[in-house]
Parts: sequence; C-alpha cells; structure tokens
Amino acid sequence: MGMGKYLLIRAINALIVLSIVTLVVSALFVKMAEKDLENRIQELVNSEYQSLLQQNKAPSDPEKWREERIAYYRHQFKLDRPYWWRVLYYAKRTITLDFGNTRIPIFGTERNVKNIIALALPRTILLFTTAQIIVIIIGLLLGVKAAQMVGSLFDRALSILALITTSIPMWWFGMMMLLIFAFKLGWFPANSMPDPNLTGLAHVLDVAKRLVLPVTTIVFVLFGGWAWVTRNIMIGTMQEDFIMAARAKGVPERKVIYGHALRAAAPPIVTMTIFSLLGSLGGAIITESVFNWPGMGRVYWIAIQTNEINLVMGLTFISVALYLIGVIIADISYGFLDPRVRVGASASM
Amino acid sequence: MVRWVDLKDSLSNFWFEFKRQKTGILGILLLIFWILVAIGAPYITEPDIPEKWKTIWIEYPKTVPPTWVGVFTGVSEAPQYVVPPEELQKYVRVEGTKIIIDVPYNMKYDVPPQDIVIMDISGNSTNRRLKPSLTLKVLRPDGEEITLVSGLKIKGTTDVQVARDSSVRKAVINWVKQKTGIQLDPTKEFQLVTTLDTLKVVFAKLSPDMLDNPQALKGEYHIIVEIKTPKGTSVDLSNTKLILTGRTYGYLGTDNKGRDLFAGIVWGSRVSLTIGIATAVLTVIVGIFYGVAAAYFGGWTDELMMRFQEFMASIPSLPILILLGTYFGGHIQLWQIVLLLTVFGWVGIARVARSMAYQIKEQTYVEAAIALGAGTGRIIFRHMVPQLLPYAFAQMALNVPSAVLAEASLSFLGLGDPTQVTWGQILHDAQNAGAAVNGYWWWVIPPGLAIALVALTFVLLGTALDRVLNPRLRRL
Repeated sequence: MGMGKYLLIRAINALIVLSIVTLVVSALFVKMAEKDLENRIQELVNSEYQSLLQQNKAPSDPEKWREERIAYYRHQFKLDRPYWWRVLYYAKRTITLDFGNTRIPIFGTERNVKNIIALALPRTILLFTTAQIIVIIIGLLLGVKAAQMVGSLFDRALSILALITTSIPMWWFGMMMLLIFAFKLGWFPANSMPDPNLTGLAHVLDVAKRLVLPVTTIVFVLFGGWAWVTRNIMIGTMQEDFIMAARAKGVPERKVIYGHALRAAAPPIVTMTIFSLLGSLGGAIITESVFNWPGMGRVYWIAIQTNEINLVMGLTFISVALYLIGVIIADISYGFLDPRVRVGASASM
Repeated sequence: MVRWVDLKDSLSNFWFEFKRQKTGILGILLLIFWILVAIGAPYITEPDIPEKWKTIWIEYPKTVPPTWVGVFTGVSEAPQYVVPPEELQKYVRVEGTKIIIDVPYNMKYDVPPQDIVIMDISGNSTNRRLKPSLTLKVLRPDGEEITLVSGLKIKGTTDVQVARDSSVRKAVINWVKQKTGIQLDPTKEFQLVTTLDTLKVVFAKLSPDMLDNPQALKGEYHIIVEIKTPKGTSVDLSNTKLILTGRTYGYLGTDNKGRDLFAGIVWGSRVSLTIGIATAVLTVIVGIFYGVAAAYFGGWTDELMMRFQEFMASIPSLPILILLGTYFGGHIQLWQIVLLLTVFGWVGIARVARSMAYQIKEQTYVEAAIALGAGTGRIIFRHMVPQLLPYAFAQMALNVPSAVLAEASLSFLGLGDPTQVTWGQILHDAQNAGAAVNGYWWWVIPPGLAIALVALTFVLLGTALDRVLNPRLRRL
C-alpha cells in the first residue's frame, strides 16, 4: 500500500472517529443540560414577571402570559424539538466548527467559544509543553545514563524514584507544592491568573513566576516514568548486534550510545514524545484546577459545572481532533524513522 | 487437563524466581499491610464510620493537628478531655430548683482547649411556657468568673458548643473590656466577634492585650453549669457528657467538621483497594478476550474490532467520565466507577493481547486444533487465553494504580460515591476548605500519601511479576 493511500485511509478513519465522539458527547450533554435549561427558563420568566410587576405593567392574565413566555424561551433554547433532533443539531454545528457562544462570559468578558479556546489553548501549551520538554530532556539524559550502568546504585535509585513518582497523583503533588512554596514560604504566587496590569517584560516575568510551581509539579511526577522507559528501551537496543559491531570497530563509547543506540531507539521515543505532547494539550483538568491555571482543562471543568453545552462540545471536539492528528503524525514519523516498520503493516496483517 | 503436580511445580518455580525480586517482596509486604488495614478498619477505628462521616462530629475539635506534633513544636497543647456521664454525676448537686454541675479542670497547658461541649442534656416540661434554662460559667484560678452562656432554654435533647458562637464571643469581649478597661474601636470589635478564639481568652492571664495576644493562665479552673428547673420542668442528665475539646487529636488530626482523619484514612483503604483490584481485573479480562477474539476471527471482524478499539482509545476519558458523573446526578456509585473505568481502560491491553494472540495463532498446535475441528470457544479458552495469562497477571497489577488514581481524581472533583469514605473525598473537602492556604498539612499530606502508597504497592508487584512472568517482554 502506498503512503498516500494509507494516509488517506487514516484521515478518513480519524474523521469518522471524530464525528462519532462528537455525537456521543452531544447525546450525553444535551440530555444533561435539559433539566438545567428548564430551571433557567423558570427563573427567567419569574424575574421577567417581577420586573413587569415593579413597572406596574403586570399582564392581565398571568397564567397565559407565563405559558407564552415559557414557550418562547423553549423555542429559543430549542427545547421544543425532540431529543434526537437536538443531539444531531449540536453535533452537526460542532463538526462544522460553528461553536457558538456561551451564556455566561468566561475569562472576564469572552463569550465566543472559538475565542475562549484560542485564549486557553496557548496557555495550556505554554504550561504542559514547557513541562513536557523538560521532562523529555531530563528523562532521556537520566534514562541513557542508567542504561549505561545497569544494576548500579544510580540505576537502582532511578528505578525506585520512577516507581514512586508515577504513583503520586499529580494534582495532590500540586497541592503540596502550593502548601509549601506558596503559602508556607511565600516564594511563588498561589494564583496562576496573570496580572492584567503588567505588559512587556514585566508580563513575561510575571507569567514565568506563575509557571514555576505547576511546571515543577508536572516535571517531578512525570520525569521518572520517562527515564525508566528510556532506560528499558536503551538496554534492549544496546544488546543488539550492530552495537557490538560498532564497539568492535572501535567507535568511541559516547558515539556508540548517542550516535548509534539512541538513534535506533528513536522511533518509540519519538512516538512517546508526540503522544505525551498531544495528550497534554487537552490539559490535565484537575492539575489546572488546583493551580487555577486558565487553560483548556480549567475551562473544561468550568464548562461542565455551568452546563455550557457549546463550550463543552467545542473543547471536546478540539482535544479529540488534536489527539487524532497526533496519532497520524506519530504513525508517519514512525514510518520515516524506522525503515523496518512497513507502513500499513497492521492493515494487511 | 492441568495436573495438580504440574501446577504445584510451576507455582514453586514462580515463587523461586519471584523471591529474588526485592521490589516484589516489598510489594507483597505492602499489599498484606493494606489488606490488614482494610479488613481491620472496623476494629482499628469504629464500625459506624461511613454513616458517621456524613455528619458533623460535635464532640471533636475542629481542624486540629495530630497529637504527636507537640513533640516537635515543644508547645504543650491541651488534649481532648472527656467527662463521661458516670463521672459527671459526681459533680452534680441540687439546690432547690437549681441543678449545679461543677467540674474542676486542671489547665496545665500552654494552649488551652478549643471548645467546651456539653452533649445530650434532655429537658422535659409539662408547662408550654416554661423551659429549663442553662447558664455556663468558668471560674478561673485568679478568682474571676466569666459567664459564657446565660439562660439558654433547653428544648428536647440539646448540645451546647461555645467556641464558635458569636454571642459567647460578645460576652467574653465585654468581660475583657470590663475587667481591663480597654477601649476597642468598632471595626476591630466587629472583627473579633467573628474571629476570636474564644477559649484562648477565657483561659488567659488578665492583661490589656489579652484579646490579641492571650497568655495561658495555668491552674485549677471550674466549669460551672447551672440549670434552672422551674416547676413542671425537669432535666435528664443521665447521658450528659462534658467535653473540653483538645488542640490536637488522634494520630492524624481532624478536619473542619471535627472528623477524625485517621479513621477516614483507614476506611478509605477499602474503597481504594476494591476499586483498584476490581477495575484492574475486569479491565484485563475484557481487554484480553477482546484482543484474542479479534486475532482469532481475523479479516473483517478484526478490522472492525480494531476500528472500534481505536475509537475508544481516542475518546478523552477523564472529561467523559466527568460528564457521566454529572449525568448520574453528580455522584457515581462505586460499581458505576468500576464499570466506567473498565469501559475506558481495556483499550491498550486489547491491542497488545491481539498482537500476542496473532503469534499464538500461528503456532502449529493451534492450527492442529483447528484442523481437528475444535470449536471456537475451546480454542480461545483452552489454547489461546492460557498462553496470555502471565501477561494478564502482570497487567492486572500494573493497572491497579491507574484505577486508584482515577477514582481518587473523580472523588477529588466531588463526583465520588457519597456513601463511602474515600481519600479523594477527603482531599476534595480539604481543597474546598482551603487546607493548603490555611496550612492544614495533616489534612492534605496523609490522604495523598495513602493514594501514592497503594499505587506504589501495585506498581512494585506489577513490575516484579512482569519481570518474572514475561522475561521476553522485560525490556519493552
């Protein structure tokens, strides 16, 4: 199978998955928001009635007026349509990238879902991608070092550290960091919302200061696992024949490790890199909530709590789309990096 | 047929290999520890903790650190002091229609008790207008007397708490003003009425700055409760307890509802272990069978099953779990959490199981079985799945931590099972009460450590099992 055809199939596949996920989320969320909307209509009609009363413009037949207003709002919120119609309606709108507005402004004054995502996504990228890059660098360096001296004290200590850190809930560690460094010692701000009064360099420094605690948290929880996996992959590669051959030829050890072995170990590492970079884009909902970091995860949580259908749909759509793009990129890069992997091998198996 | 001798042989071989994995042994020890804690929860603490957890624990101090903290700070803080009903009877005397309870209290600590609590006074009256009324005074070693509560009507069974009551605070502030002659500006006074640590002042040396900087006055105090019982009324003191709640409590302190965090942590182990193990076992079973079935049927069925697998893999699971949680009315019951985590968890295992099953399928004995006309079920159950068991066991252990973390995360978001005590919920309450801001470390550190320790237990077991059972996969 050719690369072009393979890519096409993958893309179509991704689109189908994306549509189904959108539909499922729509089905779930439309049902969930129903009750909330009904209550909201009651409240709206009640407050309207109160204000009419205050202006001495009370309707002559309150019951009829009430029914009319309720019918009007039900039409506005599309509650007069059947359930399946609403599910399809929201799913279709989302797939055609028409995300609409939220009812309540998020981030101050913003109500347009696209703009909210455009604000939140870069912040999540800034936080998680920075952290991930640090994790990958530390993880690779430590992992390679450990693989060089298997069974040494360093190797064993690293393995134990990796096992312990991966067992820690990231958000709990975040709470601990806040407790110690923000509240006890007061070194860093506890709130991650950037100061709106600062501009230019001061703004950059402000954001950087607010980044320290969340980034440290993410790095600490994740680097051990990375180092451990890298170590295991490297141990496997170092035992292969071409490494022996390179050593036998008298290639310097440094070059054997960083030039030969690490290059051969690259495909799985690159795949992992892509997946963790993309997996982080959705934002770890709880970690962002703990640090009050105004990114995708935080917005997602706010959206669910306030029953903002449009926002939930938009956020889900974007994160699933990003993930699927990541899967395709990972597949392609795997094919490029490792000639042994025949592209599309799984399809013809 | 599996023969007993073979089984015993392979088990002893396995144990021989496993014994050499130090991490595995540590994992087993930790697992035994957790099982003992989970089973022993009703005996280590009290059997009714899950029901009691939903209530406010009146007779316990609120948000106080563990008792052992004093060892490090060097400050002696008043411990919990309970006068049980039997002992209380000794201090009761009757003067006409007045009942007086005079409880001596030797205050020998740097920090006095947090609260005075009187539990279960029941008042009866045949007259609708008249009720028994209660007055609470403290007689201090310097001869001064403070009236904290005066003329409180007792209707039915009543509990009295004074430390957080603003009218008690007002009475104390007025007493201080009268005794020391200090003036307070109104904003300051208003602030004190809402924030004053009442008992620190009640048990303090008289001085003009005793409101801001109370110095404990040590010595013999008398807590005096006077109950007036007009005609036609009576009080029943047979169950009445008097408690001077401490500044520290138990092994792990208390939260803002006075709940004993040690009891919460011990009971929480049950949920964590149950969810973790149940989810891991179910997930792995589903994943293995899905993968094996896909590989066995092959062709279009395989293709379809793998498309579905990809679909499940690309769903962002935590947001969907949260959505489902709110969909179920804001709380997900335990079995629902297990089910949901299984639904989203089998994906990765199915993928690996499928690729392994493809290798097994190519082996001659499976082909022979197919040629001999063995049924689908027989081939899958007898020939393919048993080959995957070593992988499955290791995966079960390795999957527990993520289930434990997922349950804790959902509970932390407030979507957990409200009928259970879980570590995630304790952390949720801590976050809501601003435990980090207020420095209530004893409320934040232990539950998180417990989660991490359970997760670590199974990571240790899983990696050790993996190394022993799947030597080929060791380096993957």
